[in-house]
Amino acid sequence: MKRKITINRPGISSEEIAKRKNFDSVLKHHSGAGKPLFKKPLFLSSVLVAVLAIVTTVLVLTKNHQPAFQQSEIPTHKDTTALAEFNNKENHIPFINPPLKGLDIDYTIYKVIAENGAALQFKTGSKLVVPKNAFEDGNGKPLKGEVELRYREFHDAADFFVSGIPMTYDSAGVKYQFESAGMMEMQGYQHGKKVSIAKDKAIAVELVSTYKGTEYNLYALDTLHNNWSCLGKDKVTEKSGNKDITEVNSKPLNRQQEKMADSVSKFVSKATVEKEKKISELINSTKVPIKPKQSQHAKYTFDIAVEPKEFPELAIYKGVLFEIGAENKSFNPALYDVTWDDANLKEGTKKGENYLLTLKKGSNKYEFIVYPVFEGKNFETAKTEYDYLLKEYNNQLEIRKQKEKQIEDAYNAMIAFGQKMAKEQQKKEKEREANQFKLMDTQEKVSRLFAINKFGVYNSDCPKNYPQGAMCTATLINNKKATLQCYNVYLVDKEKNGIFTYYKNPVTQFSYNPASKNMIWTVEDGVLFWFKPEQFKDLKSGEMMTSLKMTRVEQKFANVDDFKTYFNF
Amino acid sequence: MAENKKYHLTETGIAYEQARVEAAKKNPALFSELYDKYFEPIFRFIFQRLDDKEQAFDSTQQVFLIALNNLSKYENRGLPFSAWLFRIAKNELNELFKKEKANRTVNIDTVKIHDMMEEVQETKIDAYHDKIVKIMAEELEEDDLQLIEMRFFENRSFREIGEILDITENNAKVKTYRVLDKLRKVI
Repeated sequence: MKRKITINRPGISSEEIAKRKNFDSVLKHHSGAGKPLFKKPLFLSSVLVAVLAIVTTVLVLTKNHQPAFQQSEIPTHKDTTALAEFNNKENHIPFINPPLKGLDIDYTIYKVIAENGAALQFKTGSKLVVPKNAFEDGNGKPLKGEVELRYREFHDAADFFVSGIPMTYDSAGVKYQFESAGMMEMQGYQHGKKVSIAKDKAIAVELVSTYKGTEYNLYALDTLHNNWSCLGKDKVTEKSGNKDITEVNSKPLNRQQEKMADSVSKFVSKATVEKEKKISELINSTKVPIKPKQSQHAKYTFDIAVEPKEFPELAIYKGVLFEIGAENKSFNPALYDVTWDDANLKEGTKKGENYLLTLKKGSNKYEFIVYPVFEGKNFETAKTEYDYLLKEYNNQLEIRKQKEKQIEDAYNAMIAFGQKMAKEQQKKEKEREANQFKLMDTQEKVSRLFAINKFGVYNSDCPKNYPQGAMCTATLINNKKATLQCYNVYLVDKEKNGIFTYYKNPVTQFSYNPASKNMIWTVEDGVLFWFKPEQFKDLKSGEMMTSLKMTRVEQKFANVDDFKTYFNF
Repeated sequence: MAENKKYHLTETGIAYEQARVEAAKKNPALFSELYDKYFEPIFRFIFQRLDDKEQAFDSTQQVFLIALNNLSKYENRGLPFSAWLFRIAKNELNELFKKEKANRTVNIDTVKIHDMMEEVQETKIDAYHDKIVKIMAEELEEDDLQLIEMRFFENRSFREIGEILDITENNAKVKTYRVLDKLRKVI
């Protein structure tokens, strides 16, 4: 065969190749969906032999004939579309994806003056040493002033799970699962913007761990390539005292405390608004009446019909007139004799005392400040009415004051209750934090030492193969026997400090160690399901296909500790 | 020589792939994961032996279609799933060449020729460059050329070459060195 030789042909990029992927086309032309087995030559010839051999039986067989394959094994168009949608959604899942809404490991916030540096101590005993001038902005400009460091640690399978940080390590195409001696994340912010660790600077980390082994490597989470990068070995030392550490920020604030402070503030603000609204309604219901004034005959008055809804303070009196005020210096007495086309009244410069009168004749328009007055008998009647109304007003005012006091008292009681609740919550939060690290305190601890020159997630880890001992191929179903639509299936082996991720239901094969205490977690549409440790006893290793009945977790977890308590961590 | 380590799979990795294959046997739509994983390696394998890029893409699609249509026949023999795909790709190429639908092309990277000549301990590389190219174009048997291509131009390990050609790792090694020996004698 004559061959063509090309020398140093330009390469083709992975991106270009990836663009040409078209699995839908392969699936569309896949013969399994469009060409049933009974149409294949081998099958037809078999049927022919059968026809010749047993003619009578064939008549019956033909009548009841079914294709030789299981129809259910070939997906319908509808199934395929639903599945394609399910698969497509996966492309939009962030690399770090906390699976349970509202449940994550809280950050503790430290505030550090950039030019001073700091030595910080985390509640687990871990230490962070930040050198002077350790931060820069996105343009590489050194930062001064207060920088906010957000720090958190992850120490067990529950922490890893709720954080959504992948614990799978792809080493040259081979997938391993991390068994962790501890993981931490640190991020830096100034005025709400992300900052970086300055070039030639590094933050020293002493991560407290209960794992003494030296087989662990340090890995950094590469969120650009969605994988972990091995940075080499960390250094293990016996846990040192903290004499050399000065905690710069005595009041680190975690997210739980932030949430609490925020909710207390919202509570107070809502109660205050409601109180003010109620008091305002009371004031509106008790208005002081306008004291009637007698007309000064030397001044000009207008008789204007008053709209009761618009001016209720005037509508209670009969025979009200509007007297031209002294401030209308340019009032021309000749205007008094005009028959006006339109007269309109509005509130004046002194509310409840004077009004703005607008008079129109043709295209001419005049405006005057006027005062309500009464003449003769109308004045006497108005005065009597006023005395009665004033008395009523004073009575109402007393009642109002009592009601206002009641509202104030109720408000103060509510605020006191809110503050008491907040204090109790704070106490519980402190107890929770204390419990969170109680277990670690009872164990012998080491420090895993390393330095970071970029913010992010770092893991002191050992890549391990999946657990061995038994293999199970399964479909995860709910209590209604419906297959769960979930991307990751997490196996927790209590003997290992990691989480083993299997991918994905339906039909997931997983291995496990029958001698360990195991459980499985998976999440469908934000709902947690689990396969309990005792259910593993019923599994038969090597079984071709089985259905795992997953239990829906109805419990709402307020924090990660609740989660750990529920699953007995 | 730097080998393409992405190919190697642990037993767990192979078991994981097998689970995906079993899943795809039940539901062909689940074959997409294997398609995504191996589309590029299969394309590069085909394009290394073809001149026409479009034809290489078409043939790659064809390989996956054949694989999916025949998935029920696939049996796990402890090899990576990709070994089976490469064999399908090799057969597909042979069909194209047999029916003269494509030109057998040898894409040579001169740097890789240096690697190859270092292996045969030949120092006068430049002097023999043209000669080697001519041998590859006209004289080498197809099986021998496949060994050279896979080992030197595609950086495959002997283990992988063995799995693709359905021979043992040791046999792949022996055969490759026989071809190199032949080359040394010729030049």
